[in-house]
Amino acid sequence: MIPAEALEQQTDFHHPVTVQEAVRLLAKLGTNAIVFAGGTWLMRAPAPSRHYVSLGRVAALRQLVITPETVRIGAAVTHDKLAAELQGLPGLEGLAVAAKRAANPAIRRRATVGGNLCTKEFPAADLVPALLAAEAMVKVVTPEGQANQSLLAYLDWRREAAAQNHLLVSVEVPQRAGRLLAHARLTLRRAGDYPVALISLSARPDAKNQLADVVVAVGAVEDQARRWPGLEQRLTGATADKAFAVKMAQELVADFRGREGPEVPDWYRLHVLPELLGRAMAQLQERLANGGRAA
Amino acid sequence: MRGKLHINGEWHSFHADPATPLHRVLREQIGLTGAKDVCGEGFCGACLVEVEGEPVAACLLPVALAECTQIVTIEGLYHDPVGRRVMAALEAEDAVQCGMCFPGMVMTLTHLLKTDPTTDREKVKHALVGNICRCTGYERIVSTACRAAKAMAEADVREETA
Ligand SMILES: Cc1cc2nc3c(=O)[nH]c(=O)nc-3n(C[C@H](O)[C@H](O)[C@H](O)COP(=O)(O)OP(=O)(O)OC[C@H]3O[C@@H](n4cnc5c(N)ncnc54)[C@H](O)[C@@H]3O)c2cc1C
Ligand code: FES
Ligand code: FES
Repeated sequence: MIPAEALEQQTDFHHPVTVQEAVRLLAKLGTNAIVFAGGTWLMRAPAPSRHYVSLGRVAALRQLVITPETVRIGAAVTHDKLAAELQGLPGLEGLAVAAKRAANPAIRRRATVGGNLCTKEFPAADLVPALLAAEAMVKVVTPEGQANQSLLAYLDWRREAAAQNHLLVSVEVPQRAGRLLAHARLTLRRAGDYPVALISLSARPDAKNQLADVVVAVGAVEDQARRWPGLEQRLTGATADKAFAVKMAQELVADFRGREGPEVPDWYRLHVLPELLGRAMAQLQERLANGGRAA
Repeated sequence: MRGKLHINGEWHSFHADPATPLHRVLREQIGLTGAKDVCGEGFCGACLVEVEGEPVAACLLPVALAECTQIVTIEGLYHDPVGRRVMAALEAEDAVQCGMCFPGMVMTLTHLLKTDPTTDREKVKHALVGNICRCTGYERIVSTACRAAKAMAEADVREETA
């Protein structure tokens, strides 16, 4: 490890070309190093005296591979590329919507999937609830080795000391037959600003056309996105119906504590949550009526 | 760091901290003041420049990562036939008011006309989500974009049938 004093007073960009090289650099530079992906979060307040490990030249991190079973998304894939590649995949339309509607076009050209998942200070990341609902796994590498974990576990782990200087390498999303994913977002303007609340909903119809394998994930409402187990239970075995979904969400909304923010007060996020769930359910209803595809 | 940027077909030298946002180097060292310094956070689009053919927020791009790329600023877009057409259309429609947002608007609309020319107002509005205008109310800008797309399509047809 390079002594901290020697690294102070410098801003430097390092350009590894492989994952291994990036991880080695992060280990060598220690607490002075920070991963730099699209920079759309970091550049809002660039810190002086930093060693940025830029991912721009690590080709392996920009790969996106679709097989019948999974979609593997490299951490440096941009929102734009993700939305384009997912077009026409009926089971993951909600993920495409999350990538296509987040932020604005110039940001989506540079902001990466990894940056969206790794920014622990940002509660309103669109891809987080979408990938939680899709039951995604993530692959991380640290100087100690590599590990696969569920995104749900990763969201807590990234806050731990052991996560210091980790590199998120890829996200693996299962493609399950008949499973559909919807994503509903509320912004104060029609688009372009940070979401006030986010809901992602995934489920499949069973033999009786009732909802099975239901996962509901909520973002932007609390400091960190999470699943809504109580609502998942209520919706399991029900038919896809917007009015029913809204009623259930109204009954259970106290499961959340709203986050106070500069754009809206805490109660507002809870107030809009049931209707937002209704919108996600309406997307699912429409797709089920349409053989799995959006109209 | 000392380095060189390739902007509008020419090389320019700079001397700045590597994390300095590109728009500040353009404005303060190279004298290209078309890209504006407004929000500094990627929200308003006033600082957009083309990097490798795509509009990006220069306020979020460190100058160190802009080295070895092809940069086109609003000043350079004047030599681009589509960019010129967009500028002329905005002027003809009297769509410009204070002009603060317009370099960014032209960047976005030029890219839209090149990649997905459309007369669908909704599509134009989606493309302009990251361009904030405090003056105009947007409607004339959207109309101009649709009109320019239509004129371009008609010009293409005329060329093909000539
Ligand atoms: C104007 C604007 C509007 C926005 N609106 C939305 C919105 O509507 N929805 C939304 O979801 N987001 C929104 N965002 C946030 C945006 O999506 C994030 O800024 C972006 O996803 C971060 O990705 P990045 O590649 O730019 O990350 P960077 O800025 O490069 O990095 C962000 C953080 O993640 C870490 N990091 C990045 N990649 C890795 C990796 N592979 N491994 C380990 N750590 C890593 C960095 O060290 C840093 O701490 C908006 C941003 C802006 C500027
Ligand atoms: S100044 Fe860059 S987007 Fe506003
Ligand atoms: S014309 Fe003044 S900000 Fe758009």
